[in-house]
Amino acid sequence: MAIVQMKKLRLLAVRDSKEELLKELIRHGCVEFAETEDALTGSEAAAFVHRESSELSKLKTQHQTLVHAINLLDTYAPKKTKLLSAKPELEDRVLLDDTGLAGALRTAETLEGYDARIKRIGAEESRLRSVIESLQPWLSLDLPLNFEGTERCSAVTGSIPARFPMETVSAAIEAVDEEAEIFSVHEEKKAHYVLLVCMREKLAEMQDALRPFGFTASALTGMTGTARECQLNAEQELKQLAAEKENCVHYIIDDAVHRDELKLAADRVNVKMSLAEAEERLCGTDSVLVMEGWIPAYREQELNQLFERFGCAWETVEPEEDEYPRVPVKLENNKFTDSMNMVTNMYSLPAYGSVDANPLMAPFFILFYGLMMADMGYGLIMILAALVAMKKIKPKAGTLSFCRLLLYGGISTFVMGALTGGFFGDAPKVIAGMFGSTWPGLPHLFSPVENSTQVLYGAMVLGMIHLNTGMVVNFVQRWKHGDKLGAILEEGAQWVILVGGLLLISQMMLFKEAAMLHNIGLGVIGLGVAMLLIGAMRSATGIGKLTAPFSCIYNTLTGWFGDVLSYSRIMALMLAGGVVAQVFNTIAAMPSANGVTPVSGIIFIVVFLIGHALNFALNLLGCFVHDLRLQCLEFFGKFYKDGGKPFEPLRIRTQYINPQE
Amino acid sequence: MDFLNTIGGYALGILGAGLAAFMAGIGSAKGTGIAGEAGAGLVSEDPSKFGKAMILQVIPGTQGLYGFVIWFLAFNKLVPGMTVAQGLQVLGACLPIAIGGMISGIAQGKVAAASINILAKKPDDWSKGMILCITVEFYAILSLLASFMMLNGISL
Repeated sequence: MAIVQMKKLRLLAVRDSKEELLKELIRHGCVEFAETEDALTGSEAAAFVHRESSELSKLKTQHQTLVHAINLLDTYAPKKTKLLSAKPELEDRVLLDDTGLAGALRTAETLEGYDARIKRIGAEESRLRSVIESLQPWLSLDLPLNFEGTERCSAVTGSIPARFPMETVSAAIEAVDEEAEIFSVHEEKKAHYVLLVCMREKLAEMQDALRPFGFTASALTGMTGTARECQLNAEQELKQLAAEKENCVHYIIDDAVHRDELKLAADRVNVKMSLAEAEERLCGTDSVLVMEGWIPAYREQELNQLFERFGCAWETVEPEEDEYPRVPVKLENNKFTDSMNMVTNMYSLPAYGSVDANPLMAPFFILFYGLMMADMGYGLIMILAALVAMKKIKPKAGTLSFCRLLLYGGISTFVMGALTGGFFGDAPKVIAGMFGSTWPGLPHLFSPVENSTQVLYGAMVLGMIHLNTGMVVNFVQRWKHGDKLGAILEEGAQWVILVGGLLLISQMMLFKEAAMLHNIGLGVIGLGVAMLLIGAMRSATGIGKLTAPFSCIYNTLTGWFGDVLSYSRIMALMLAGGVVAQVFNTIAAMPSANGVTPVSGIIFIVVFLIGHALNFALNLLGCFVHDLRLQCLEFFGKFYKDGGKPFEPLRIRTQYINPQE
Repeated sequence: MDFLNTIGGYALGILGAGLAAFMAGIGSAKGTGIAGEAGAGLVSEDPSKFGKAMILQVIPGTQGLYGFVIWFLAFNKLVPGMTVAQGLQVLGACLPIAIGGMISGIAQGKVAAASINILAKKPDDWSKGMILCITVEFYAILSLLASFMMLNGISL
């Protein structure tokens, strides 16, 4: 397993065959299109070629319309689907065909039209409701709302804040003109709604007199008839709108029969968008197309035949070392290592020309996961969930590797659970205890509660192995790239110190009489430190040669200390999960302390289910995150070179339909 | 000492167990509260994100659970008539999860609230927010373990 070897492809093709060639390439799904224009810059050809154009923006609009229409159908006419169901499968030929696309687009546009109408009706409805609301105070006024007075008289409607008593207002009016009068139409907590009647020529004076009382003229413009008539009209209109809205919804629901057509059309447009994106990266003259890209070396044969058939001129070359940062990275995986893709993708792909960490990481990741969860019951749930999902959803790519990760993690969790005697915590023992048995529970090889110190040391030893694996990788890499001295003076020196340390510890623990061993151990450590210092001084420059040894010792020491201690989280999570599970079991069994009754039995089941669901969910996530940290921070820190750009070939991408393999 | 004797070891033990449950509970209550407010804001805009917002909200809920676990273990350990020294041992053993649980719960709540922003703006990357939250969780787990191992070590 490694990083797939890539080759750079340069291709000249006849323009007439463009569409067919692209369609064939998308079906093969193994060519990544580079920006051809950039590659041509500065060459003589640049003057003759121009970038190809495509209908990408038009396709994007079409795709939006189709997806919107499908979402509309899902909102108004939701289709009952089984909880776990696979996407329908279709041959790639069908997806590349565009018959029926125009019809589906028309349907989608009609659906969008109905939706727009429903939205407009909604706006109109809220406007009418606010009109009805504003008419409420004037219902008892039987004058038309547009009535402005007679020849000699003015009539003005308006409101005055309630804190001014009507008597005061009337008095103020009468002070200006005795003939004028103000009528209260409606009283509310906050305001008096009033009608002012006065002589036309006095109107301005009246308004001045009313200003101190905060009089505001009403805003009922543009309405004819009395308030009651207006309100009735508005209510009538509301009813009509509601009926129309219902009709629109019905039309949408009726169109639900086209759902599958729309989904197919959306995916067809998806495919066309991928083709258009590729097209925009091409350059060409009137009769010839120029293309640059990357292909995996192992598919070269197959592509050669294809290019032959289309009468192309092409060459493939292996990338130079200085081109490595631009080479896309594809990881070659088998069923086992592919489960690590999620981890590598979340971190960053390895740089081209470095090491693929998946096969190295997989055994450790799965082992650590199992150790942290360590429960047969939880393991079984994980295995079952993964198997059911794989069978029912028929997942592809990312989801598939996640399911595999869940499966392997589950198996490992089950095995470790068997070793530590955990089955939903100590459920078997507690249940037996409820029925009066004194059975001590499942047998175990070691238990995180009883042997927590040993488990802690064990976790750190595993950590040492893990870290050293990373160092071996780095050592081999440097050796291969010619930095032999550096590899010996850095990785090698640390191993020498490690061997010295082991000798020293074994003398102290096992062979207490052999004083000689003690001295040998010290000597070996001294040698290792000397190598390390030489290594540090070798790579430093100037004044750094003096400070390098100190910082080197400090960094190595604290680095190792921190890294190894970090693996204590394996023990911490193992213990925490187990303890929480045990406490839930004990609480669940409490009502059954004096024998099992139907009620106490039900309480047991309820508390047991809730408690374990919580603990399981928390551990599932927690163990993953902490395992991830051990891999990405401690393990990768020893050797990993990240920064790879993922290989994204022109291939069929779909949303609703799975292309058949 | 006389003063403590009048209180008695049992009462001190009860105080310790209570602290574990209620202080860690405060942490979780505040944490899930902060995250819940942010979540409600998002759900009011986009109700379809309720499930994910809820998952982020319950993450700071674990501290209260850990506090409860220690309360349970400590309470089971108490025997009437225990000495003041024994009572103080239980009290001391309860403190890590009481204080660690409270502070980490609040801190985790803030991370969860910020992660709800991720859910709002970049829904595809919301699981990364979950990972950021779980980082804080580790210190609550360590507090739980410290309390647990100490309680386990006390013999009454």
